[in-house]
Amino acid sequence: MNVLEIKNVTKKFADFIAVDNMSLAVAEGEIFGFLGANGAGKSTTINMIAGLLRCNDGIISILGKNSAKHSRFAKMNLGMVPQDLAIYEDMTAYENVKFFAGLYGLRGAELHDLVVEALEFVGLQDKHKSYPNSFSGGMKRRLNIACAIAHRPKLIIMDEPTVGIDPQSRNYILNSVKKLNEMGCTIIYTSHYMEEVEEICSRIAIIDHGKIIAEGTKEQLKSLITNTKDLWIEVKSSENLNIQAIKEIPGVEAVSIEEYFIKINSDTGVNNLNKIIEHLINNGIEIRGLQEKAPNLETVFLTLTGRNLRDQ
Amino acid sequence: MNILNIAWKGIKTEFRDIKTLIFLLAFPILLMLVLGTALSNTFTTSLPVDDLHVLYKDTTQEGSFQQFIKAAEKSGMHFKKVTDQVDGKKEVKRSTFDGYVEVTENGVQLYVNDDNSIKGSILQGMVSGYVDKYNIASEIMKTAPDKLNAAFTAGEQRDFIKETSLNPNKQPGSMDYYAIVITTMIVLYGALPASSLIVSERVRRTADRLIAAPVRKSEIFIGKVLGSLVSNGLCVILVILFSKLLFKANWGDHLGLVFLVLLTEVVFAISLGIGISFLTKSSAAPQVIIMIMVQLSSFFGGAYFKIDNPEGIFKLITELSPLTWMNEAITKIIYANDFAAVIPAISINLIGSFLLLLVAIISLQRREGL
Repeated sequence: MNVLEIKNVTKKFADFIAVDNMSLAVAEGEIFGFLGANGAGKSTTINMIAGLLRCNDGIISILGKNSAKHSRFAKMNLGMVPQDLAIYEDMTAYENVKFFAGLYGLRGAELHDLVVEALEFVGLQDKHKSYPNSFSGGMKRRLNIACAIAHRPKLIIMDEPTVGIDPQSRNYILNSVKKLNEMGCTIIYTSHYMEEVEEICSRIAIIDHGKIIAEGTKEQLKSLITNTKDLWIEVKSSENLNIQAIKEIPGVEAVSIEEYFIKINSDTGVNNLNKIIEHLINNGIEIRGLQEKAPNLETVFLTLTGRNLRDQ
Repeated sequence: MNILNIAWKGIKTEFRDIKTLIFLLAFPILLMLVLGTALSNTFTTSLPVDDLHVLYKDTTQEGSFQQFIKAAEKSGMHFKKVTDQVDGKKEVKRSTFDGYVEVTENGVQLYVNDDNSIKGSILQGMVSGYVDKYNIASEIMKTAPDKLNAAFTAGEQRDFIKETSLNPNKQPGSMDYYAIVITTMIVLYGALPASSLIVSERVRRTADRLIAAPVRKSEIFIGKVLGSLVSNGLCVILVILFSKLLFKANWGDHLGLVFLVLLTEVVFAISLGIGISFLTKSSAAPQVIIMIMVQLSSFFGGAYFKIDNPEGIFKLITELSPLTWMNEAITKIIYANDFAAVIPAISINLIGSFLLLLVAIISLQRREGL
């Protein structure tokens, strides 16, 4: 059964088309990853699913019901973890979760039990009387999640839930996502961190310019670019590097730089390694190492969209 | 139920906010104390007058004026007979004496200095009283001289001036006045926190979470307004109680009606805050606009100093301040039992609230999200 179905959905802001005739389905029990650079349309899509924005065209169904017509039903079954922290600094952790869970019709002992359960789930049970202004960034993120899950939604949307936190808190959140999924929640997950998406998502959609340009498991996505390979060239400095000039070497599909590494995605059928090395040496770039890697999701994304996930 | 949930959350957080509490409770009480004490002289109903020094010249043979002098000296008037070397009129001109009385067979002449009209008026009143009595005595002498003694000894009357106030105890003292005007001013200041009722949800991003929950926008809106109404209403009750118990401010015998009028002002203030927040684009602009509006309304509404009988354009400006109507209505309820004054104040508050809330509701319906 599909928990979420999006059919030919379009969203315009004046003349700008943010989401362009998008369709997709998310089955029960999936952790579905949304990948897209800034402005690709993923936040708009998420906001339409959560009911924050109305679509100009198309239908969004949650648990088989049109969310526009059955708004209350859709919202009752949905939990939203917004990208920005959405908590009240002047209320304790317990009060925050209780207030938001209370909006879903929960009352009395049932409400209390679910609030306590949600705080335990995110590891904040000992801090239930504390105000968020005494929390670390990671703890606030966890409280942000607790506020979205206390009412036990069937579908949870997590928009960049690990932005700006320490690795320990990130691991805690990623494990929580997996645990929620094991408990039966279907999750839509967006992140700028490719490795997170690769680690936890069972299926991924790559969005660019308001359209889904690829969709499937990570293996399926990687298979889309089997005719390419990744060259990782470690250099002393990439200051004089002319990316455009490398892109013009025959067989080069995409080029990106990550600290001291130049990542070149190249056609396996073209032997261009000599030309690439020659170009770097001629431009005074000192090569310290070279290795060939199988393409990862980042390569897939770069190849399909022509830009990095973190590009503005 | 969601409405109550949202309202209760609003009340709780507002009373937890120390800054709001200081502003809505401590600030008005302190202001009442400062202004009520510092400007108490402005509100006194009695006027202290020093002793009166009068020169006189009596050329009559009978001693009625001497009797008048004896009686008047008991009231703090000092008479000195003018000598031939002294010109009484010049002495009054030089303000050495407050008045100069010439009593001759032809009548009484009084000279007073216009520079001190109060003392002059008192003197004039007393001398007129004396002349009236003298005239009556002359008439009695002409018709029935044997009755003269009886006429003046029965119910002996030595008061030459008797002042009777039309409304002796129905005037607000300074603390009574400032209790009213500071309370109405602080209620209007309630527009400031009200302007961020919805905006703060957007700024904190909690608006998205509220909209993602199964709650209608109207429920959020009503819950917010209700919460603000209750917390502001409670603050008004506390300010009234404090001023009544601490400063013995007079809130009259119809406290329920006074509170009802104040409650409509609370509704107006909240509507003003919300309305302006929907009319402006930035989140800081409403605060600036409201601050200017409240300051001007307070100034022209008499919150800082009493404005008596304004005229012309100034009168028009004072009438534009909602506080003028409020203060007038409450003062009339307390000091004149005049309930009719309540109607314009309540009408202005409720009609204004309706229009401002209408603007907010239309804007809210049009926009996506909160």
